[in-house]
Amino acid sequence: MRATWRSLLTKGKTMRVDPSYVTNLVGALDQSELSQQQLTAQLSSGVRVNSLSEDPLAAGQNVLLLNQVQRDDSFTQSSNLVMGQLQVADSVLGQVVQQLTQAVSLSVSANNGTMNASNVKSISNQIAGIRGEVLGLANTSYQGQYIFAGGQTANSPFTLSSGVTRDTVTYNGDQDSNYLETPNGQKIQLNIPGDQIFSGSGVNDVFAALNNLVADYSSGTVDTAQAVKDSQALSSALNYVSQQRVSLDNSITQLTAATDAVSSEQTQVVAAQTNLMQANVATVATQLALSKAQQTALQSVIAQLGSGSLFDKL
Amino acid sequence: MGTISSAFSLISSALDADQAALGIVANNVANANTPGYTREVPNWRENTPVEINGIRYGTGVTQTGATSVRDRVLTARLDQQQQLASASGARLAALDTTETLFKPNTGSSGTNAGDIGSDITSFFNSFSSLEANPTNNALRQQVLSTGSTLAGDISNAASNVHAQRASLDEEASGISAQVNALTGQIAQLNVQIQSTSPNGDAGVLEDQRQQALSKLSQLIGINQVPTEDNGLAVTTTSGQTLVSHGTSYTLTNGMVDGLTHFFVGTTDVTSQLTTGGGQLGGILAARDVDIPGVLNALDTLAYNISSSVNTQNNAGIDLAADDSTSGDIFAQRTAVTGSAEAMRVVMTDPNRIAAAGLGQASGNNSNAIAMANLANQTIVDGQSPINFYSGFVTSFGSTVSQVQTENAAETASVTQLQTQNNALSAVNLNDEASALMMIERSYQAGAKVFALLNTLMGSAINLGSPTTVS
Repeated sequence: MRATWRSLLTKGKTMRVDPSYVTNLVGALDQSELSQQQLTAQLSSGVRVNSLSEDPLAAGQNVLLLNQVQRDDSFTQSSNLVMGQLQVADSVLGQVVQQLTQAVSLSVSANNGTMNASNVKSISNQIAGIRGEVLGLANTSYQGQYIFAGGQTANSPFTLSSGVTRDTVTYNGDQDSNYLETPNGQKIQLNIPGDQIFSGSGVNDVFAALNNLVADYSSGTVDTAQAVKDSQALSSALNYVSQQRVSLDNSITQLTAATDAVSSEQTQVVAAQTNLMQANVATVATQLALSKAQQTALQSVIAQLGSGSLFDKL
Repeated sequence: MGTISSAFSLISSALDADQAALGIVANNVANANTPGYTREVPNWRENTPVEINGIRYGTGVTQTGATSVRDRVLTARLDQQQQLASASGARLAALDTTETLFKPNTGSSGTNAGDIGSDITSFFNSFSSLEANPTNNALRQQVLSTGSTLAGDISNAASNVHAQRASLDEEASGISAQVNALTGQIAQLNVQIQSTSPNGDAGVLEDQRQQALSKLSQLIGINQVPTEDNGLAVTTTSGQTLVSHGTSYTLTNGMVDGLTHFFVGTTDVTSQLTTGGGQLGGILAARDVDIPGVLNALDTLAYNISSSVNTQNNAGIDLAADDSTSGDIFAQRTAVTGSAEAMRVVMTDPNRIAAAGLGQASGNNSNAIAMANLANQTIVDGQSPINFYSGFVTSFGSTVSQVQTENAAETASVTQLQTQNNALSAVNLNDEASALMMIERSYQAGAKVFALLNTLMGSAINLGSPTTVS
């Protein structure tokens, strides 16, 4: 008897049990429940990282990837807008070249000396008509902005004023060019200032040439030397306009290439972001099944162990 | 003496001792589920034998009372661990709430409402879009509306965090009263224990004192220092005395800079309590360290975005084409603190957005390009805005994750120590049942001996006498 009393007094850990360890199992049950909730949330939302603490690095990376996706998206939209403008400018210059070609051939026929005065005057009028067309084309606006005005897009850049001997066309715009910046910093030129195209820095002046020819043929008599010189001036102005058109074509090409590159980059980044953040359904489903099995097992263990002591047998 | 009558008194002392032991076992069983109750074991003591003419005669057994089976070192360790677990638990609860404000954006098209990262990107994208058509009114409106969304989400987040700080403050201030009640109780128990059992275990009083200490250590971090006469001094983890002998020193609240601070006497112990442990320590850590960190990050982001954008807008020409300042897009702040909550768009006229560069006509887009490029420049604390936000998200998430891990480890440790303590001190019904059986048998045996002695006595009385006594 004494030995048994002594054993009840000692602190022998190997012999004694925690009589309330069932409460610890309840704690484990709570943990299991929590884990199930998290897994179910992942499964239903399809997202692996529902809060920052679940994967802080992924959350931070996600911010940067989404930023890239949105920037690419925004650029694609802008470039569609701008492409329209560039294409309009390009086609306008194409029409200008056509008109000028016609003007050149008219002037050549007037210069060959076989025409009578009234025909020559008629040619003057036709060239004046062409000048009007070209003026209209030079004053093209796209979505409310004059595209050949440099930075002064609110007002039409070219105005015609009648003169005593010859008419003049004045340029009211400026020499400013706009650029569109791509997400990787490339700058694409969006416009060419009107005076660069049509005034050719004074050397290849389309309107001056046209005005001169109109004046040359208006009286009906042709000063051949002068007229030939002015015809040649118009020819070289026409070539100059064609060259300017090449610049625009380059911008269109660059823009197309940039848009394609951005678009394919966006696809890749979206895939990367999806990989980072989306839940792997198979893994989650398996973990959920295991967790449920553990919970059921715990519940039955608790039910079994919570009952009975030696008192029941007394 | 060795007489029959002395045997009678010997056995009756045994029966008394058994009855006393029975009382102790019954008490154990009755208190099996009482929180803080430590099981008691009876103390048997052999009475001093007498010696007559060189012959020793035993004098029986006495119950000297119950001894509580406790290990003070173990309970102190348990309390220590409890402090840590409570602290990290309280801090984790607060951080979990804060974390919900910054839920990761899951959609690849960035449509999570309230996501600050997407807002930053959308805002600077609006300038990129403006490059294509600088005078377009719809695009200009877009700048102002994305700016409003950004300002709104940042200020929302900041005011939510402020509100959480206020509620943590309230929660913290309520703890003082509970602490004072417990320290008062401990002081009283000290006096009682010192007067009733200065040299041994004080039984129920000790249990009560232990219970009060356990609750106190869950509330704030304490050190327990045993003093003479079975007394106990309680100090905060940093050494501020809370209980000394029969005196308890109260924890008082006071407002400092709009937040509750804690005083013992006139000493401000708030910063000491923050690192000391217990629920109060956890709450203060969240209130005074974690939350200000979040607010500071938001303020830095808001302040720098606002001022850089404003400066850049004033470096260009708006559609009114005057060379004087185009105006601020965001409310301009003078100090970083409070910028997040106060962030808002003040510009109402989209024509005041300066897309054109200085000296250029209205169709120029060079300032719009510059504004868009602010997104890549190190304008927020040496980082671009989106890099700063990404870094903040990662570091805050890491903090929460770390506290989660700490809390899990500490809770597991508490469970382990609790199990050890229970194994020693909790009432095991099986043990009590077997003890009960033993006492029953012992009593039966004693009673049997008593009956035998009675028969012997009868025989002795009847020696040499014709009449019989039974």
